[in-house]
Amino acid sequence: MSKKIGVYVCECGPNIADKVDIKKILAEISSLSEPPERIIITKKHKLLCSNEGQDFLADEIKKNELTHLVIAACSPRDHDITFMNVCKRTNLNPYLYKLINIREHCAWIIPDKEEATEKAIQYIRAGINRVAYQAPLTEKELDSIPDVLVIGAGIAGIESSLSLASEKRKVYLLERTSSIGGKVTKFEKILPHQGTNLDIIREKIQAVQENENIKIFTETEVDKAVGFLGNFEITLKNIHNDDQKNEFKVGAIVVATGYNLFNPEKIPRYGYGKIEDVYTSMEIEESNSKTGKILLKSGKPPRTAALIHCVGREEKGYCSRVCCNYMFKIAQYLKEKRPDIKITEFYQDLCLPNKADQEFFVDTKNKEVDFIRFKDISIKQKDKEKFIEYTKTDGKKEKIPAEMIILAPAIEPAAGSEDIAELLNISLDEMGFFQEAHQKLNPVATSIDGVFIVGSAQNPKNIPDSIMDAQAVGGKILTQLIPGVKLVPEVTISEISDAFCTGCQTCLSVCSYGAIYFDEDRNISVVNEAICRGCGNCVASCPSGAAHAKHFTSPQIYQEVLEAIR
Amino acid sequence: MKEHKPKIICFLCKWCTSAGADLAGTSRLRYPPAILPIRVMCSSRIDPAFIIKAFLNGADGVFIGGCHPGDCHYQEGNYHTRRRFAILKKVFDALGLESKRLKLSWISASEGVKFARVSNEYTEKIKSFGENPTKSNVFL
Repeated sequence: MSKKIGVYVCECGPNIADKVDIKKILAEISSLSEPPERIIITKKHKLLCSNEGQDFLADEIKKNELTHLVIAACSPRDHDITFMNVCKRTNLNPYLYKLINIREHCAWIIPDKEEATEKAIQYIRAGINRVAYQAPLTEKELDSIPDVLVIGAGIAGIESSLSLASEKRKVYLLERTSSIGGKVTKFEKILPHQGTNLDIIREKIQAVQENENIKIFTETEVDKAVGFLGNFEITLKNIHNDDQKNEFKVGAIVVATGYNLFNPEKIPRYGYGKIEDVYTSMEIEESNSKTGKILLKSGKPPRTAALIHCVGREEKGYCSRVCCNYMFKIAQYLKEKRPDIKITEFYQDLCLPNKADQEFFVDTKNKEVDFIRFKDISIKQKDKEKFIEYTKTDGKKEKIPAEMIILAPAIEPAAGSEDIAELLNISLDEMGFFQEAHQKLNPVATSIDGVFIVGSAQNPKNIPDSIMDAQAVGGKILTQLIPGVKLVPEVTISEISDAFCTGCQTCLSVCSYGAIYFDEDRNISVVNEAICRGCGNCVASCPSGAAHAKHFTSPQIYQEVLEAIR
Repeated sequence: MKEHKPKIICFLCKWCTSAGADLAGTSRLRYPPAILPIRVMCSSRIDPAFIIKAFLNGADGVFIGGCHPGDCHYQEGNYHTRRRFAILKKVFDALGLESKRLKLSWISASEGVKFARVSNEYTEKIKSFGENPTKSNVFL
């Protein structure tokens, strides 16, 4: 069939017009016309992305009955979508169009007009050759379910549920223990203003319990989760009774599994579990919140206390971010109970990342709490006396007595994170926390579309950061899963030819998304269209040439390369 | 003698290096017209056969730009690229092609300056090697 390819050069105001010889480009490109197989129509325009420019293009496509479209203008990052929409509006398949960036790649980088023009011509020629081999692709629509599964009913899970639940969106909130609220319910007060914790938490718990669009499952775990964004099939099981199962479908999953504390018994020099009156911060919080008291084993309030930060920090290889602040809080608890208590806080580095932290630190220091930066530290017992032996940063060794010792153990990923990662096909990082899609640019998403992470499941976090995550995920899910709106999965994805596949499964081993499954009956690999993101890794790895990347096929790339170097 | 104008195929991943190349343009940096960009979704899409074919058809150099290790938009595509690239160099040597004409570089979306610098240095290097000898000795 003969191809009618329209090539339109945009002046982009003076940006392109002043730097390349558009007249020459049009003349050279027109001369490539080879009727009747390949007819090339060329024209220029002042600004193709403008409304007027788009109308001009639409007119040209219709008037000339173009079968393919090449636009020489700016970066696809700027206007690929603009021009694809023009195609759609004129019933030209948008995958039969190609944008050539002669602005960033020619006009703006080559001072010599002749050289810039020459490169632009070469580049456009390559584009024409490619577009002639492009194939029309059709977008598909899939039904999506707006409901959400939230795994973990701590503060991050609770807030996620509250941001998502509505009349049109059910939330299934899952908790492994017997009650919701998580570790936050164990804290007596919330820093930095030392407000009473329970008021805030109780309100949230109550709101979740009263919300008829949130269904809570306690003492329950995920048994199975298969599917993709908009359509996950979930099976839950009761942790005491494997036969007690619940099955339902959701469109997205939020992992809010929180954290555990590092066990200080693993580092014998802290004496935890061996020496009396050595406690973890959480034990102190629990005792204070239950009894209102912080007492020694003997039942007396301590006269001296050593608060040791950074327990397990070197072993774990990261700073847990939240401990410094809560250790100041514990110092303040002790001071309130017994103003003459002598408190020393031992730290390796202070971590004060939030805006209120510095003030809270100074406030604690002003309450006559000593701060000592240590290099090494150990807890020794001689007769009934306990001592903190430490080396300061200048190398000096010193020791002080302490009746009560409180440790701030590192925050580590919740037990069972590996199982959840495996069930959901997402990854853990080298520290064992859930791996985000991008540390900086996409921290609450994961490698699987529709699976999100919030709170300390991703990184040690304080309450406001966990809430922030939950609200961010709320925003993501609300915009991705709109009740009644169908999903359009990625079009430029991989496909595997039944006839050529030898069943070697190399593609399965390179796919980061688990988007390819092996069909045992037919002995071939098959792409799950709803999961594939279209990177093309499987295509480059396929030894039998069975895998193809739609819109990035080998012939398309070959044609572009060959013409570029001709 | 007329100065040899090299032709260099430059495969750019859509997410990092292509954006870095755009930034080099918007920053009005200078680099030679020899660099001919081919955009792909991920550097891991680049079949080593593309590169061999480019050489056999007269490219003087092939340069692959991908996201920095750990920053791949598709999780770990660039690690696969890196492995394939290492093997390809050996294949080049075995076939008698000049592996010194291959280049792999990690250039992020914010590294316009790096894109221009690498393009300049690489073009100079390719110029110093002269024309791709494979062009006149096709043996495959």
